Amino acid sequence: MDRRKSREKTTAKDASTVETLPPPQISASEAFMVNLVCVFGLAVAFSIANKGYSFALVSDPSPTLFFIWIIQLPIVILLFSRYRQNPQRCTYLRAVGRGMLGVPVGALLNSLGAIALGAPVTFQYFPKTVNWSLMMSLLTIVPPSCVLGSSWADWRRIFAQTKASGSVEYLICLPAHGAVIGGWFGAWPMPLDWERPWQEWPISVSYGAIAGYLVGVVASCGFVLAHGRSQRVKRD
Amino acid sequence: MSSISCTKLTLFSIGAVIIQFIGLSIFVFGFFPVKPALSGYSGSESFRSPTCDNNDIAIHSDASLSPHRLKLLYQEVSEIPPSYDRLIIMVIDGLPAEFVLGKNGQPPGKAFMEAMPYTQSLLAKGVAVGYHAIAAAPTVTMPRLKAMVSGAIGGFLDVAFNFNTQAYLDDNLLAQFFRSGRKMVMHGDDTWLKLFPGLFHRHDGVNSFFKRRERERNRSVTATSEVKDTVQVDQNVSRHLNGELSRDDWDFLILHYLGLDHVGHTGGRNSVLMASKLSEMDEVVKMIHMNTLQSPQNDQGQTLLVIVSDHGMTENGNHGGSSYEETDSLALFISPKNHAYDHALSNHDTIFQVDIAPTLALLFGVPIPKNNVGVLISQMIDSMTDVQKLRALQLNSWQLFRLLQAQLPGLSCRNFPCDAFVTNSGHTISECKGSMEKLFCCLYLNAATAHDAWKAKVVTRSNSTEGYNNIVAAYHEFLGKASEWLSHKATDKPINLLLFGVAALITSCLILLRLVFIIHKDVSAGGTQDLDNYMKPWKSDEVFILFGIMILVISMGSSSMIEEEHYIWHFLTSTISLLFLRKAMQSFECDKAHGFLSSIKTTNYISGCQMCLVFLILCAGRILRGWHQGGVNWTNLPDISKWLEQAGSRYINLIQIASCVMIIILGISVLYLTGSKTKVKMMIGSGLLMSGFLVLHYFMKYQDMSFSYNKDAIVSIQIFYSILGITTVTAVLVLPWVMPIKTPEMCSTRNSYISTSVPVEILNMTPILVLKDFLYVVGCVYITSWCLLQLLLQQPINAMPVLLLFVQILASMLTFSFSGSHHKQWVELKWGACTL
Repeated sequence: MDRRKSREKTTAKDASTVETLPPPQISASEAFMVNLVCVFGLAVAFSIANKGYSFALVSDPSPTLFFIWIIQLPIVILLFSRYRQNPQRCTYLRAVGRGMLGVPVGALLNSLGAIALGAPVTFQYFPKTVNWSLMMSLLTIVPPSCVLGSSWADWRRIFAQTKASGSVEYLICLPAHGAVIGGWFGAWPMPLDWERPWQEWPISVSYGAIAGYLVGVVASCGFVLAHGRSQRVKRD
Repeated sequence: MSSISCTKLTLFSIGAVIIQFIGLSIFVFGFFPVKPALSGYSGSESFRSPTCDNNDIAIHSDASLSPHRLKLLYQEVSEIPPSYDRLIIMVIDGLPAEFVLGKNGQPPGKAFMEAMPYTQSLLAKGVAVGYHAIAAAPTVTMPRLKAMVSGAIGGFLDVAFNFNTQAYLDDNLLAQFFRSGRKMVMHGDDTWLKLFPGLFHRHDGVNSFFKRRERERNRSVTATSEVKDTVQVDQNVSRHLNGELSRDDWDFLILHYLGLDHVGHTGGRNSVLMASKLSEMDEVVKMIHMNTLQSPQNDQGQTLLVIVSDHGMTENGNHGGSSYEETDSLALFISPKNHAYDHALSNHDTIFQVDIAPTLALLFGVPIPKNNVGVLISQMIDSMTDVQKLRALQLNSWQLFRLLQAQLPGLSCRNFPCDAFVTNSGHTISECKGSMEKLFCCLYLNAATAHDAWKAKVVTRSNSTEGYNNIVAAYHEFLGKASEWLSHKATDKPINLLLFGVAALITSCLILLRLVFIIHKDVSAGGTQDLDNYMKPWKSDEVFILFGIMILVISMGSSSMIEEEHYIWHFLTSTISLLFLRKAMQSFECDKAHGFLSSIKTTNYISGCQMCLVFLILCAGRILRGWHQGGVNWTNLPDISKWLEQAGSRYINLIQIASCVMIIILGISVLYLTGSKTKVKMMIGSGLLMSGFLVLHYFMKYQDMSFSYNKDAIVSIQIFYSILGITTVTAVLVLPWVMPIKTPEMCSTRNSYISTSVPVEILNMTPILVLKDFLYVVGCVYITSWCLLQLLLQQPINAMPVLLLFVQILASMLTFSFSGSHHKQWVELKWGACTL
């Protein structure tokens, strides 16, 4: 109860101080479809890598991750560019361009974070790290860069303070946080002496990130539903 | 919302801390029971029955005898002639008995059978008798060797009691052999040399694996897969074998083969190297058996070959715990005499590892070690006459009875006059009940009286096997009960004490946790008016710290997590740094519309600085992590230090000098960051500078000699020590008297770096601020001097990590002084622990 009230207040404050249009709203069914398409893209990437080229994440992490991000890339960018902020001022193509720019930037941020947390930097791990960080970029940074563009206040609100408002921001915020936290947890078995092949960087982290992403997707669906209901109540 | 007064809070926290201390000490005392171990060595008195008066006279007379005379004396009083003249103990490190004897009555797997054809044929012929010898935890080499030669189950703390030496000081077989003038030779693991220095006539210790020992200290794990490690160690032992077998100047030969343990660590039980290693061991057995046992050369006498393993291994090749796979060690006796009994049954018999010591002692006619808790293996004395067998049982019983007397003070002669009715109670075996003392006394008396009665009958030539069997059964009942009780006493922990300790610890933890919550509520309710903070009472970093502590505690439950603990620390500290980065971003304003506001500018400046510092901390931490690959599993991976060592010592020296200069500059600049320039501070600064230059001078001058013992170096180091000592002591003693002269205004300017967010009221409280300033200066001095000291003491390669740590500490200090967050202390603690 408290939390909802505070969120309404902050949205009101943001709307009054920052001169942007209120964040775009989409219906619960549409949000569900968006999530479904993203997850479907992941599944397709996995099955193509697995069936078509017989790559498994454990044995060949690099090509599998490559397939994942190369297939997710158009899906995510084209999908989330539709929900850009200020659609009057910003064309669809511009949003797509922003998304494309977000891919390397997000990869850089993700890889820096991973290296700070102890990812190996030797040359043999370089392709794996690149592919992993590109995948993470598509799971975390690219959707908001399509939607938000260069609005620092929104970025800060969503990522530094985790205060999403509106259904689209839920779709951005929760899966991204899920992916990062999942990846963090995925790193835990790495130093153990079980001598399993999946303990190598970045396999367990990728598994964790994807699992966290899926949890985030489900949670975002739930939040969007709850949000829609509260909006309806407010309107009534 | 519950609020709590200051006194109450203090009382509660002090109470909780006291409870914690009490709980911890109770737990420690419960977990490491201090057992009374008998000191000294058994002498000829052990061949006399335990009586009330101590046999001090006997000990004195033993000491004055020459080894050879002592040996003869032992033979005379023991009434058992030594069955063998020479003993070869072949220790195969980490060999599970399952590989040789099979499991649950089943023969071992086909691959293992084929790998050891000669040993298997010996077993099938009945020449060799094998046992599953159950080892006690911890199943690592050194405690197990001690158990095998002394028959005692050591406590976990026995290392702590002899501080400077690893030498084994309690009574043991090797000491007994040495005292009775037997010559001993050892080839193999140098653990033996450490345990028994000076006892060996000739030795060649294999000490090529510092890695292995380190692993064992860390509870043993996967090694690097070096062929050298698995093959060469055993070749070093076997190359002496031919020579030793042809000589006759030894009575006791110890061969300790480490290769099998290494194979296990590398590839587990089913390693591809295992079969070849087993057949190599089989070759050794064959060679010894052919050369010495079957065709003894002149003057060598009868030789007994004992093949033992100190512990088993798990499926992955690890050991240390108390699972069946780890404790299932081998004891295989091969003698020239043919054992004519059902070997198929006996090969699946289970004994305890401690049983080896009394058996060997009795077979070789030396006193059983004082602290032995083992029982002799009855099949091994089958070749003796009935009288001798009973005598052996009697000697073992006497020894155990003496040990029982030491452990149970109630079992003294006064309470139970054990000697008094030896003759009058006859040989009816009575039921034994009652307390431990009564039970043991009764069991012992049963056996002893029956034995005495039987001896009397032997004299009158009315011998009966039934009576004999009864005596053996009575002895075994006493021995089994006593041994079981003694070994449980050694390993069992008083469960109530432990539970109580744990309960006290948990209670105090709960109290402290509750206090943290209450304080937090108060602070967030009273301290900040910000609505967001009020609504979200727990910030992400605070949640993470609590959560991280929880994870750490949980991860301590797994041994492999402990081995790699430094990675976990790095992971958690980096994560908290990233969270600080995120927090700094929260207050970072990028909007040009508000750029003109000065308040926003300052917050931007502060958070920008914070971000830079946190970034610095992260970078330094990452380099630190990459500097050394520590722990157990990943030591072989490339790291910066290995790379530098390959590049050459010139670079290392350059880095060392550079980091020394950096530390001096940083230390001095941090000292003057607060702005005041008193004379004392100047003095302290110059002291630090001088000691820094001394270190630098030392590095420049003596960089080539890593172990320089010349006089100049020592003098310069002594000067360094004295300057550093004087500086630090002056800082503490003089500063508080000089500091308070300052006026509040000056303090406030000086403290601008330390506390920007201090309310105005506090500024008037001069003493607190002065104290803060004082603590700041003292802290700086101590950190800097600690770093200089470390630079001097550490290897040159570690100079850079010292610098990085210094940078991390300073950066985190500055970061927190910017924000003045109230959980600073927690995090500082974490940093401190991270330095390890």
